[in-house]
Amino acid sequence: MTTTIIWTIAIITILGTVLAIVLYLVAEKFKVEEDPRIDQVESVLPGANCGGCGQAGCRAFAQFCVESEDMDKCFCPVGGNDVMQKVAATLGREVAAKDPMVAVVRCNGTCENRPKTNEYGGHQSCRVKAALYSGDTGCSFGCLGCGDCVAACQFGAISMDPQTGLPVVDEEKCTACGACVKACPKAIIELRNKGRKNMRVFVSCVNKDKGAVARKACKAACIGCGKCAKVCAFEAITIENNLAYIDFSKCKLCKKCVAECPTGAIHAVNFPVLKPKPAAPAPVAAQNPAPVVSSEAEGRVEKSVEPIKKEE
Amino acid sequence: MEKILVSPSPHLHTRTSTKSLMRDVVIALLPAVIVSVLFYGWSELLILGVSVASCVLLEYLITKYMLKKSCTIGDMSAVVTGILLALNLPASTPWWVVFIGAVVAIGVAKMTFGGIGQNIFNPAIAGRVFLLISFPTYMTDWAKPQGFIGQSIADAFTGATPLGIAKGAGAEAVAGMDYSDMLFCNIGGSAGELSAIALLLGFAYLLARKVIRPYITCSIIATVAVFSGIFWAINPAEYTDPVFNILSGGLLLGAIFMATDYVTSPMSNLGGVIFGVGIGVITMLIRYFGAYPEGVSFAILIMNSVVPLINKWCHTKKYGR
Amino acid sequence: MKTFSIGGIHPNDSKISKDCKIEILPLPSKVFISVAQHLGAPATPVVKAGDVVKAGQVIAEPAGFISAYVHSSVSGTVKSVGPRKDIAGNNMTHIEIDVEGDEWAEGIDLSDTLVTAIPEDNKEILEKIKLNGVVGLGGATFPTHVKLCPPPGKKADCLILNGAECEPYLTSDYRIMLERSKEIVVGAAIMKQVLGNCPAVIGIEENKPEAIKAMTAAVSELQSAGKAYSGISVMTLKKKYPQGGEKQLIDAVMKRQVKSMGLPIDVGAVVQNVATSLAVYEAVQKNKPLVTNVLTVTGDCLPMENQHNYQFRIGMPLSYIAEHAGGIPESAVKVISGGPMMGKAIANLDATTVKGSSSLLYLTAEQTVRNAETACIRCGKCAEACPMGLEPFLLQKYARNSMMDELEENAIQDCIECGCCLYSCPANIPLLDIIRIAKGDVIRIIRGRAAKK
Repeated sequence: MTTTIIWTIAIITILGTVLAIVLYLVAEKFKVEEDPRIDQVESVLPGANCGGCGQAGCRAFAQFCVESEDMDKCFCPVGGNDVMQKVAATLGREVAAKDPMVAVVRCNGTCENRPKTNEYGGHQSCRVKAALYSGDTGCSFGCLGCGDCVAACQFGAISMDPQTGLPVVDEEKCTACGACVKACPKAIIELRNKGRKNMRVFVSCVNKDKGAVARKACKAACIGCGKCAKVCAFEAITIENNLAYIDFSKCKLCKKCVAECPTGAIHAVNFPVLKPKPAAPAPVAAQNPAPVVSSEAEGRVEKSVEPIKKEE
Repeated sequence: MEKILVSPSPHLHTRTSTKSLMRDVVIALLPAVIVSVLFYGWSELLILGVSVASCVLLEYLITKYMLKKSCTIGDMSAVVTGILLALNLPASTPWWVVFIGAVVAIGVAKMTFGGIGQNIFNPAIAGRVFLLISFPTYMTDWAKPQGFIGQSIADAFTGATPLGIAKGAGAEAVAGMDYSDMLFCNIGGSAGELSAIALLLGFAYLLARKVIRPYITCSIIATVAVFSGIFWAINPAEYTDPVFNILSGGLLLGAIFMATDYVTSPMSNLGGVIFGVGIGVITMLIRYFGAYPEGVSFAILIMNSVVPLINKWCHTKKYGR
Repeated sequence: MKTFSIGGIHPNDSKISKDCKIEILPLPSKVFISVAQHLGAPATPVVKAGDVVKAGQVIAEPAGFISAYVHSSVSGTVKSVGPRKDIAGNNMTHIEIDVEGDEWAEGIDLSDTLVTAIPEDNKEILEKIKLNGVVGLGGATFPTHVKLCPPPGKKADCLILNGAECEPYLTSDYRIMLERSKEIVVGAAIMKQVLGNCPAVIGIEENKPEAIKAMTAAVSELQSAGKAYSGISVMTLKKKYPQGGEKQLIDAVMKRQVKSMGLPIDVGAVVQNVATSLAVYEAVQKNKPLVTNVLTVTGDCLPMENQHNYQFRIGMPLSYIAEHAGGIPESAVKVISGGPMMGKAIANLDATTVKGSSSLLYLTAEQTVRNAETACIRCGKCAEACPMGLEPFLLQKYARNSMMDELEENAIQDCIECGCCLYSCPANIPLLDIIRIAKGDVIRIIRGRAAKK
């Protein structure tokens, strides 16, 4: 009995020692020299491995940061400026703060604005659908509604609104990693400046068809009339291929263009709701068709869209 | 025509569906089921009923309340599992043992892996092997047939299966057996092991309907024949002969219906052959040298576990490569 | 009987319209001729609004090596040149022509007389094929003159004429093989001569015995017409889809397999459709540009009297043809241009016919609506059906996880998009939908890598 126990202990001890020595030798032989700063940098990164920085993952990004001379090229959109400050501190470098960004869906082709012209019966994937044809509405530029962006988002920040058939970005959760931008075959989603107090003005349309064609396909389409560009005092709006685009770096959030747009394609979000002036007539509202206002009436997520009649 | 339908090609689709395939398997099992009911009577009907009902019910409950997915009982795969489990049990098995088998088959072997298409082990076999290890007394209690026909034949073999006799008393004890008995009639054993002809009928139907390919089944049978042939040729007194080995026990049931289960067998033909050879060899090793008289279930389970490996190494022959 | 060696499926062939003679469609008041009727760069329009054109006159010129001439199919006045939606609803430049009379450009022989004497100069033949805008009519619409000029160092061992028409429902090739057999044989002899007098084989599936008879008779009759006509034979092939796939046909006829990412000419094969052969005949012997082709209007839901095989002119709106054929049946939910396996679902019926149009096929909801996807049961039926020996179940899994290296290793780039996998999947998994996209990605990666080297 006792001998058995002694033998067992002895054998196990010897076995353990031998294996430990083998492991040690193997570890020594195959040791990979690595900059210890990579580990330090990685420890301050968010660890989402989303690839938003353009690298394969957080560790690859840490390595990239350590190796690159210029900190301007390194930016972790998920961690934002805070994390980049920490990374810079770890490496003993300086980094300039960048403006926070957010993903913006530039299509307002709701089921109501943009009626279906045919029925899609294939695999529910925007890429498959886009490769097949122009889509199940008259607009060949707008959202296809199969939710590739939703699947691409690792942060659960995008969801499909069943009522409109359009994706909705949760600004709280969005880290501006850009996965949805890459996933969208129609290039509808854009990373835009988050803006002062999250206030933003943008053209919610990417239709490059001629005005009449675009309007026929979708009530809320940008018809490229150019009124917004004329009214803009900061030269922030350009019209190209029948489509207006607002440069967020130039936009001063004056919202003049919003009032001017005849189709309501320009959206202003997160502006504080002003009390309507009692005397103010609503000429714009009269000609300004339903989309923005009605969508608010339906209690959509874009509740922050400010009705234009309150603008004057 | 209101709105035109647009989708990528192809625009036609075969009428074969998961459900129709499973339905074909059930139809192929019918001869064996009928034979087992004729021979074992009401007790067998009870086992079949309990097994099928509990398999279907368990799958329904698990998909609905635990996985919270869309229900998959419509594809009839649970029915197939239920029938196979019942055919793998002795007719005298108490109903609650059958139910435990169903719990293991559906609950453990199938649904924990994510349901149909995801399981590594054949659910019916997993259930049977669990019962065999947990309730050996019930699982080896080969009762006399109390069915509607066949009592007279049953007198020849009671209390043990031919394999059991061979294990206990040596190959000579079964040397005088009439193989036509094994082809057509009661030879003692699990309900599904009664008649080789009934099983072969099912096999023919599955092949004709192109539900399964013959590679797995044929390679199992061929391997068993060759393996036992060699040993029998060397020492017929010690080892049982090939025909006996093919016709006895659960070999045909396993080779035709269990080893060919889509989910737990290799996808390529070459992989199927390797899989079949493996099952054949392991079965014979257990039968000749193991503690159990019968080894088909264990062989299939063991080979199930290497299917991912086989799939990784065996690919189809590609055009121009 | 010969057939290809790997995979394949046997859908019901449904050749309902096979006994309908080819009818000539009357001219509409307007045609819209697309400049993208071929594989490769869209042609550049050379006419402008107000120009008067004759049928057979060039209206767009090739814009690159792989591109083709486009001719006016009618005489009349050009109304506009501008974007119009094609069958997929995408904008493409179309030339709109108001039809006035039916006057053909000079030098075009419109008679029915069979011209059997083949020009001796191969360069002249190729020039005629190119100038008359002949493209492959088997589906890919690859410019024919390019295909008939093997790259230096490669030689054609066999010209294969594709008369398999393995797609269900389609009967246009069948009808021309019955009604224009001799012209097809002359076309084959011309192409054979250009390729250096290699043997020519006309492959026809067994389900078209009359076409086999007609083509055999035409071949033996023309044997006496000259040396160019020797070495042409008809081969009966087993009925199996996709027999008419280029790689499958080469395997079936020559027992050779084209290497991955390779061209048929690498194994000494040139494959041309029988309709292309007819177009070559007309271009070379009659100097007639490719402005007409034959199309089948069919479908199970279409009454027998509305089943047609039409000779159409390019640029005719599909809705015009549908109307002329008796309207779209009430129970149809999908209209397909091409066969049901590889054809395109039409999103826009106002789109117009192109050189390669081969059918208007109506399918009912019961036939074509896909059932909901269920879990893969690993039955391997897709791998069994794949004529390229691929494993679609594996490819779709890798594709859903963007595993590009694994996809390339498992030869996704070899996929011919025949649809056998999706057709045969009992779990209704959209295999081809997913694989098609991933295949494009992988090919792009491969090309990018090759370009870097």
